[in-house]
Amino acid sequence: MNSIFFLILRRMRAPLITLIVSYGIAVFGFTLMPGLDAQGQPWQMSIFEAFYVISYTATTIGFGEIPYPFSQAQRLWMTFSIYLTVISWFYAIGKIIALAQDPALRQAITLARFGRTVSSLYEPYYIVCGYGETGSLLVGALDQKGMRVVTLDIDQERINELELQDYQSPVPGLCADAKLPETLLQAGIHHPHCRGIAALTNDDHVNLAVAVAVKLINPELPVLCRAEHIETAANMASFGTDHIINPYELFGEHLAMEIHSLGTYLLHEWLTGVPGTSLPSPVPPPVGHWVVCGYGRFGKAVVRNLEQEGASIQIIEAQPELTGCENFIRGSGTEAHTLIEAGVERAVGIVAGTDNDTNNLSIAMTALELRPDLFVVIRKNRRFNSVLFRKFNADITMQLSDIIAHECLAHLITPMLAQFLHLARSQSNAWANQLISRLVAVVGENVPETWGAYINMERSPAVMCLLEEGKPVTLELLTKDPYNREQPLFLVPLLLIRGNQSMLLPELETPLLAGDRILFCGTQTAKAAHPLLVLNQKVLRYVQEGVEIPDSIVWRWLAERQR
Amino acid sequence: MNLEKVAFGFFIVLAMTLNFGFFIGDMGNPEFHHSYELYAAIVVNLIATVLKFGDRTQIGAIHLSTSLVADIQLIAAAVIWAIFGAMGDTPIATSTMVSIVSLSGGAFLANVTSVILLIIETIMLRR
Repeated sequence: MNSIFFLILRRMRAPLITLIVSYGIAVFGFTLMPGLDAQGQPWQMSIFEAFYVISYTATTIGFGEIPYPFSQAQRLWMTFSIYLTVISWFYAIGKIIALAQDPALRQAITLARFGRTVSSLYEPYYIVCGYGETGSLLVGALDQKGMRVVTLDIDQERINELELQDYQSPVPGLCADAKLPETLLQAGIHHPHCRGIAALTNDDHVNLAVAVAVKLINPELPVLCRAEHIETAANMASFGTDHIINPYELFGEHLAMEIHSLGTYLLHEWLTGVPGTSLPSPVPPPVGHWVVCGYGRFGKAVVRNLEQEGASIQIIEAQPELTGCENFIRGSGTEAHTLIEAGVERAVGIVAGTDNDTNNLSIAMTALELRPDLFVVIRKNRRFNSVLFRKFNADITMQLSDIIAHECLAHLITPMLAQFLHLARSQSNAWANQLISRLVAVVGENVPETWGAYINMERSPAVMCLLEEGKPVTLELLTKDPYNREQPLFLVPLLLIRGNQSMLLPELETPLLAGDRILFCGTQTAKAAHPLLVLNQKVLRYVQEGVEIPDSIVWRWLAERQR
Repeated sequence: MNLEKVAFGFFIVLAMTLNFGFFIGDMGNPEFHHSYELYAAIVVNLIATVLKFGDRTQIGAIHLSTSLVADIQLIAAAVIWAIFGAMGDTPIATSTMVSIVSLSGGAFLANVTSVILLIIETIMLRR
């Protein structure tokens, strides 16, 4: 802000000096001009009177000849003054207007305003670089979960879009290049409330630049990065980027997970879903012969994961030289004869994974003509084709933005959720199905809230107080309604972390210790009631012992005497 | 030699000298203090102020503030003169004249500070 002020002052120097000099000359001249008063006596204006006359003349207000009619000499000087001062005024006003429209100044003002908004944030927030398809999805989901977000995008149109969106809390956005460290500083990577940054632009180099800059400027800050090329991902990993999201790899993994463990997949999708959406109910992809069209980044990830699941695969690729694929059938897959050659007659599924939406739809439709019962996995590239893909309704539609947003949510909501999901993957499908039915019984079919509880003095003083008194605190205590201890809160503890140990689905009888971290999953009401339990000692004692403890010293003393 | 620096120094020193010229003399006697001299002092002070705009350094900030002080004092003196000055045949009262001149004296001090800053800046330059 300071710099803008000085910029304005500096640019205003010339017009202001012109104005002062022209006034100076005009006022001085007026006091010298001989005039006559009402009685016909010689009279000269005082400096103040001259200043008054010039002031209303220069600004073209023109009250006339005050206090007495002017003499010829005064009129002559007046004529001269009008041209002198009015022109200076116009010059000065023109300069001011030009300055207000100066793009550099406007940019400086926007930047300063953005910086001020960010630095005045007093609650935890995340920075999202890139407000494209993925970015907007993530910002929307975070906002729904009640978290503050700051966004950066290089495209002014996207920032305009952001301003038109109706979010629960305002989302400050800036049109700037995230590659520049200056921009990141403006977005507040140094801010004490900044909890993390997600680099989700569609340019790997920008994401890489963001990761490098953040790791140098504020190494403590968690960085989530989108990387579509394996080399970029390796590069990011080399200097400690906290989480690298490769959407194609992720999709491949998810596909594999859907085949061998649908329950785990569902659990994953559900816990990282956007609040308010309901539990999806997909059909597991069959194992057998698959035809994969397009062996790009997407195709490679799918093929690798399908092969791991024991499927036999035939690749159809139009430009095998570019993608380095062996054992292929040359063609785009949009013609029936290529598909038949690839063995679509005996296949169980087809993957339409080229980078062209029209071709993908054409492949899928041709294949369905030949074999109506095929399992179709289709890749969607462009957002504006959503209508077509919705109409087509494939068994699995791969959407980059969805996958990335889900993954980001898992890491941003609480790091414990990512850990939980990682542990859940090593569990059996039956375990996951059982957990889902338990969760559905407690929280319903909608996407639940997940949050972490930390047993320490700062985050849960009430629990710490009880522990210090030597009273046992079990996990069960944290699952009771603070308003009525007979009733449970609608929540399920998913994970308890104690030191290096982690317990999946801890028993309610588990005693809590200082330093424990617990991941809860439950309804919104339960999440809202939870802080009362861990923060307020009185409430916690009521829940534990069923009696209200007196507040003041006197009442406490009386209560002890009665006992 | 830099023409900008010449103009800068010129206006700052001129502001001080004009201010001094108006201030010097018997405090209560209007004959020692000519209105044109006050007028010239105000105009030159304003120009000096504008010339100091836009300098981000610490010394630049002090420069600007001393000039603003001088402006305020001189303009206050001019306002008093315009309001309580000679009305028709009654000459200006001694008490009014004293307050005008003492205000300009304050402005003079500010101008002296400004000139001292200018000298310090020049000495520190060592080139």
